[in-house]
Amino acid sequence: MNSALPTSAQWAALMPILFPALAAAVIPLALLDRDAGVQKWIRAGVYAVALFALGASFMFLAELGKQSSQPSYQQLRLDYLAQFTGIFIVVAAALAVLQSWDHFHQEGWVKGETISLLLFSVSGMMVFASTTNLLVLFLGLELFSIPLYALTATLRSRSSSSEGGLKYFITGAVAAACFLMGIVILYGLTGTLDISVMRLQAGTPLADPLFIVGIGLLLVGFLFKVSAVPFHQWTPDVYVASPHPIAGFMSVATKGVAIVALIRAFPGLTAWGPVLGPKVQGVFMLVAVLTLVVANLTALVQTSAKRMLAYSSISHAGYLVLGLVAGTPGALTGMLFYLAIYLAMNMGAFGLFTAFGLVGEKDTYEDLRGLGWKHPLMGLCAALILFSLAGVPPLGGFYGKYMIFKELVATGHVNLAILGVLASLVSMGYYLRFIVALFLQAPTQAQEREATEAPVIQASLARGTVLVGAILVVAGGFMQTVLVDGFAHRAIQGLLGLR
Amino acid sequence: MNTLSLLVFGPALLGLLLLFLPEKFGKAGKSIAFLGAVAFFVIGLQKLWGLRADPSVLAPERFTWFAVAGLPVEYHLALDGLNYWLVLLTLFLVPLTMAATWNSLKQGEGRFNGLFLILSTGMLGALLAQDLLFFYLFWEAMLIPMYFMIGVWGGDDRRYAANKFFLFTLSGSLLWLVALLMVAGKAGSFNPTLMATAAAAMPFGTQCWLFLAFAVAFAIKVPLFPLHTWLPDAHTQAPTAGSAILAGVLLKLGGYGLLKFAIPIFPAAAQHYAKPMALLAVIAIIYGALVAMVQRDIKKLVAYSSVSHMGFVVLGIASFTVVGTQGAMLQMLNHGISTGALFLLVGMIYDRAHTRMIADFGGVAVKMPVFTAFFFIVTLSSIGLPLTNGFVGEFWILNGAFTSGFQWGRLYACLATFGVVLGAAYMLWMFKRVFWGAENPDPESGTHHLHDDLNLREIAVMLPLIGLIFWMGLRPGTFVAASEASVTALLKEVQAPAPNMITLAPAAAAPAHGTEAPTPEAGHVEEHR
Repeated sequence: MNSALPTSAQWAALMPILFPALAAAVIPLALLDRDAGVQKWIRAGVYAVALFALGASFMFLAELGKQSSQPSYQQLRLDYLAQFTGIFIVVAAALAVLQSWDHFHQEGWVKGETISLLLFSVSGMMVFASTTNLLVLFLGLELFSIPLYALTATLRSRSSSSEGGLKYFITGAVAAACFLMGIVILYGLTGTLDISVMRLQAGTPLADPLFIVGIGLLLVGFLFKVSAVPFHQWTPDVYVASPHPIAGFMSVATKGVAIVALIRAFPGLTAWGPVLGPKVQGVFMLVAVLTLVVANLTALVQTSAKRMLAYSSISHAGYLVLGLVAGTPGALTGMLFYLAIYLAMNMGAFGLFTAFGLVGEKDTYEDLRGLGWKHPLMGLCAALILFSLAGVPPLGGFYGKYMIFKELVATGHVNLAILGVLASLVSMGYYLRFIVALFLQAPTQAQEREATEAPVIQASLARGTVLVGAILVVAGGFMQTVLVDGFAHRAIQGLLGLR
Repeated sequence: MNTLSLLVFGPALLGLLLLFLPEKFGKAGKSIAFLGAVAFFVIGLQKLWGLRADPSVLAPERFTWFAVAGLPVEYHLALDGLNYWLVLLTLFLVPLTMAATWNSLKQGEGRFNGLFLILSTGMLGALLAQDLLFFYLFWEAMLIPMYFMIGVWGGDDRRYAANKFFLFTLSGSLLWLVALLMVAGKAGSFNPTLMATAAAAMPFGTQCWLFLAFAVAFAIKVPLFPLHTWLPDAHTQAPTAGSAILAGVLLKLGGYGLLKFAIPIFPAAAQHYAKPMALLAVIAIIYGALVAMVQRDIKKLVAYSSVSHMGFVVLGIASFTVVGTQGAMLQMLNHGISTGALFLLVGMIYDRAHTRMIADFGGVAVKMPVFTAFFFIVTLSSIGLPLTNGFVGEFWILNGAFTSGFQWGRLYACLATFGVVLGAAYMLWMFKRVFWGAENPDPESGTHHLHDDLNLREIAVMLPLIGLIFWMGLRPGTFVAASEASVTALLKEVQAPAPNMITLAPAAAAPAHGTEAPTPEAGHVEEHR
């Protein structure tokens, strides 16, 4: 392994990862000054730095996308798939930062370290999505997970918050340990850490039972981050405990990068040979079925809208894993498209709580009553986002499901496709509850009284992000070709070409 | 902009603008929506009226829209014989319904009418779309505005009714989507012709399953017994405008879809299932009528009469004869006019009396003579009295079922005839209890609250409907000329069994009559022109 300094092209490729990390390191320094008068300006400065770093990262990624070469530096591969994921993460993070400005002001708890942690997590996710080397993968996993554990417990004045953070940390540590154990086993058997090299060593080790155990442990780590059943129990508690923007960010970005890493590790069914391939597919099938059934039925009986969204995010993991079951290039492309729309939908859906000024424990359907009429623009956005989450055409969410189901049917998994559509029928049931609360129920008298007494909600930034989400959802429904051909398709082509 | 695209997407654009109009401009929004709907009707009438002999001469609007996942989806809008009159009916009913319910809503009038316009985009798009995925998009998108129309402006039980409506319809169409993807994946396109070719190559068992998925999605919309249970709830809880358009156009899309997509793509499977379909249709006819008879709420009675009338449509389609199918086409228009008018009339009396219970009325004829006259004409049309539109449609359908090439044809036609008798019974009985007799003595009763008869606006709304009822009854040929060629071609394409005509043996004593013995098929239809 040579330790040569990166060339200028490689530096440019590394910039998207370095910028958020640098900003994350700088931000805590700015917070040393505790003078109340300048505090306000410092806060604004912190957010500006964060947005600047994310913006710069985005610019570099966009610049990379225009080049025909796909740079790599040592174990990091900044290929099209990594660029797609990078943009995905940066956009999610930027939306979360904007929402958190409003949310933390509503909660009265603005601390700079939150933003710093968020940016560290962004860097970690980019590392996680840009490598096939298992050790670097683990490094990325820890770099993005540990800040998220802390972020969950951000509002430390609330006991449920610390509880959620602790829960996340313990379960996350177990999953990480499994992941590491899997790496050790695989390395011991094959002598390589690179998963793309590992599967090319066709023959004896691939059929070894110990090898299968190693792959299984690796899958536990991935599926934990995807929050697929049966590794999902942490999700609802953690999302409910987290501040709304952080919950949105976790539901989108963590799931997204884990899915991308899965796509990298298991690109198609033939990649792992005739013995292991069907076994892995069987695992995916089982996980997808369990996830769709358990998550959708559980979401149906929730009384907290935020908890419902947490279960809904688990169920979306089920659809994404269905794409892995099909495993065709078309299905993988569909998964990336699904992720992009999912970003818009979930950042929008979690952003709604901030946009409506709901703080603390106010996240039940009861708290949402009549808000759709009180804020007509947000109401319309909410309706679009929720119908898209359920997969009602002509919105973006429909096409994500459409592409995955189409490949499932084409590969002969008609019964899985039927299960999938039945699951989305059930999901319509709980998304309708959200809509019923927003539009079809009048607020109670107590709520009316409270609303007149409460100060005007300041949430213009959060509302902006929800609007962006809704616009993306609609755009995904009418200009899907741009997204699919422009980004997702190319990313998958690049990946499969690399193989 | 092209005519069809303008007619389809114009209303939605206008409707979206109205959704953003602040609440205090509700009245203005309502007027804008109405004027817009009238404008679209006038444009449609002006551009399309001349095509009524052969609508397919209008150039289709067709280009590839997108091709994600390797399947091209076409933006393909076209007129043909099957959708021509349904498109005009939709364009006609939207402004008419808005005018009829001008003062019915207490709040959010602008937004309601905005949603109404968006709904009309869904309906027109579904009628005109020739690509199946394109059709599917409109078919599903239609649910969203209707959901809010029922859920926000509906009666006391509106949330239940709206959710039931949405989930029921969605369940059918989601399974249908899987079937659609299966066939389209084989065909490499969502073009119905290519899909039919691909479907024909599949094993017959698979074809049957796929046809069932198609048919169930459409049957829920029709709605066919036993999938009809959402309809009475939705109809009863929806505001008047919602009920009228639901009966007027939305239900038609089920029958239209069967005829336009399900049967041509799976001709063999469709004929295989013709008997169960016809049986369910007959059950719907009788059952709907019987249940309607015992209703206490006028609106619910009309809702169940819808089930009965739409059963006739399915029976006509299942007969696989030209005359039966043409009857089904006409019956769809009839039902749109008559049942739409009934819902509007029920709305008018509800706005005055704030009750729809039959027992609350009695002697309305004395208080509202003009209203009674209109209601009576529409009632007769709904019963199917000769000279009104209802008669022609039902007669053709029964004729088609009777002469159908299937074994069961005659029996089912005879059974369905009882539905007509029962229809007369429940409508006239309701009419007697509500309108005739002495005025209801109870001072709290509905009749007591009826102070004024129909005003000019309401009369102006009813007159065109009454005109159509007689026009369609006297000159039905005008309304089925467009679909004649399409239907004949369709039945030829699917190789429907030849009609089982009763040809009287030419009597030796009267050879002159023998030469006039009708030749099957074509000659038979001509008889009714």
